[in-house]
Amino acid sequence: MSRHAQENVASVLLLAVFIGIIWLCQDFGPRARMIPLPLAVAGIVLTLIQLVWHNFGSTEELQIDMISVEAPEMPAVEAPLERITQKKSAWRSESGAYGMVAILVAMVFILGLMPTAFLFTAGYFLLTGYCRPWQSLLYAGLLTGSMYLLFVVALQMQMYHGLLAPLFS
Amino acid sequence: MIDAISAGLLALLTPQAVLFLFLGVIYGLVIGILPGLGGVVAMALLLPFTYGFETAATLALLLGAHIATIWGDSVTSILYSVPGSAKGLALCFDGYPMTKKGQAKRALAASATGALFGGIIGAFFLALCIPLIRPVILALGPSEYLIMALWGLTVIATFGEGSLMKGLTASVLGVLVAFVGMDVVTATPRFTFGSDFLMDGISFPVAMIGLFAVSEMMKLTIKGVPIVDRTLVKEESTVMEGIKDAITHRWLVVRSSILGLWIGVLPGVGATVAGLAAYAQAVQTSKTPERFGKGAVEGVIAPDATMGANEGGGLMPTLAFGIPGGESMAILLVAFMGLGVVPGPDMLTKNLDLVFSMVWIIVIANIAVTIIGLGITPWLARLPSLQANLMVPIVLSVCFVGAYATRGHIEDVIVAAVFGVVGYLMDKYRYSRANFVIGMVLAVMIERNLHISMTLYGNDFLLDRPIALAMLMFVLITAALPFIRNWRRKKRQLASGVTAP
Repeated sequence: MSRHAQENVASVLLLAVFIGIIWLCQDFGPRARMIPLPLAVAGIVLTLIQLVWHNFGSTEELQIDMISVEAPEMPAVEAPLERITQKKSAWRSESGAYGMVAILVAMVFILGLMPTAFLFTAGYFLLTGYCRPWQSLLYAGLLTGSMYLLFVVALQMQMYHGLLAPLFS
Repeated sequence: MIDAISAGLLALLTPQAVLFLFLGVIYGLVIGILPGLGGVVAMALLLPFTYGFETAATLALLLGAHIATIWGDSVTSILYSVPGSAKGLALCFDGYPMTKKGQAKRALAASATGALFGGIIGAFFLALCIPLIRPVILALGPSEYLIMALWGLTVIATFGEGSLMKGLTASVLGVLVAFVGMDVVTATPRFTFGSDFLMDGISFPVAMIGLFAVSEMMKLTIKGVPIVDRTLVKEESTVMEGIKDAITHRWLVVRSSILGLWIGVLPGVGATVAGLAAYAQAVQTSKTPERFGKGAVEGVIAPDATMGANEGGGLMPTLAFGIPGGESMAILLVAFMGLGVVPGPDMLTKNLDLVFSMVWIIVIANIAVTIIGLGITPWLARLPSLQANLMVPIVLSVCFVGAYATRGHIEDVIVAAVFGVVGYLMDKYRYSRANFVIGMVLAVMIERNLHISMTLYGNDFLLDRPIALAMLMFVLITAALPFIRNWRRKKRQLASGVTAP
């Protein structure tokens, strides 16, 4: 999907959100909806303007430069010696990032916070090949140990132990 | 006032405050030096730790970390020509050529000293503004604060970067998200979908963790984590040379700092613009502008002094009016809310010592950053590469444990993940996250002041409050300004097109 089409989809989704808010506001009293309702209407108007201008003009030119400095010609920034560790297609790497967050949340719910921190960190280093297996386990262990000391020992927090915890208790 | 100044300093002399300031500075330097992680991520990750400690100590942790990231960001720009965040771009122009000429130590030391002087000037300005602005703040009522919050919402979108419409939409969304939960005035559950968890509302620190830290990690994963390398050059300069440079160019430091203060006070004009404006100003005022871009030390001193002073300027509207000028100040406001500190009249009456504590924190943190920075400069100058890969799983793990730790609700982990995805999408489609956060923070101020104004002065409260009415006119003019300007420009273009043969 082109960037232009993606922007349109984003605007339509926003419109749906604002319409949903207006619909939900109907259940509130006059004082409770005094701000959300007009704001949702304003949101619809703004999104519609954005949608129209995105397709027929540009809203970027509405920006005001508060400190219009008479800028001299900026020197070209020399390209650094930069290596990128991964180069995948855009959609693959994007789905990878969503998947990573989803897996992390699922692991937290199933295994609990501390085991997840250890497994996720070690797994990430192993899968990306960033360091050797023993180093991955060492780094993950150090991170989990530090977090345990900080949150459980120092801050005395009761940690969430996960859905599997009853099986082990 | 003198009592507040000394009380502010005394509050920072407790073992907890000293330890937190030191930890904040070290943490900020590490985060700043690593490419891809900026001051906002550093502050968002600290939010879960802002409860249950001394207020001054907590602020020392947050502000100390934030100030340290400013110089930390400069390090990667100077050594590798890779800005740690957008605001470090101006330092690449002359910082990196200096490194290539074997003057990395001199550039780093000049940058640290410039930032120190800028930071101290910023703190001095903040301290000086408090007695001047106090009578104005105390004269304003709820109606005026309501209009000011509305101005805060619109002006940031108008003068900030990116599309105006998208900026305003992000602000509106932010305000609406803040309304999730039980409405304290009418006891109505809003947008809770029958969930008990949502009755407490969205936790602001959790939302910040998601919007900034989780989404930045997603971005790093998607773009690929850069490993920055450089070929080491024989070092031919000393740290002392850099310090002397900053002292020699003291008037450049003063000019750049004043520019930083002005930009800091203006809502929506970020430090990215500040650095570039400072560089442009340094070139324009130099007698030898042809040296710039080839390793002129002034091109390093000016942006750092501006960014150092920017903090003092940015804190002024945040503390006095509760209107944050950018992302980092919005996060600081979230921390205030968690600590039960309300910006505005209370800040300058009941919590005046806390305001002066912040002034002292800026000074002490800047001194600490400079001392540590100058100490590690010889080691940094010999550093061949930096790898940020290590940070992705570590930051994500800390994000989710931190999100849970904020209130002890496991559902907050989901909230952090959802806001992470939302933050990533907002960044991708250029809906300003800063505006969203500022909307969330100002929502409370808007609703509370509207209800108080209506209770005190009736539904037509604007007619009873001429100052509020005048301020509303100003808000409308500011909001209409871009459209008027655009209409005039098109009219001019049309006229020149018609007259042209």
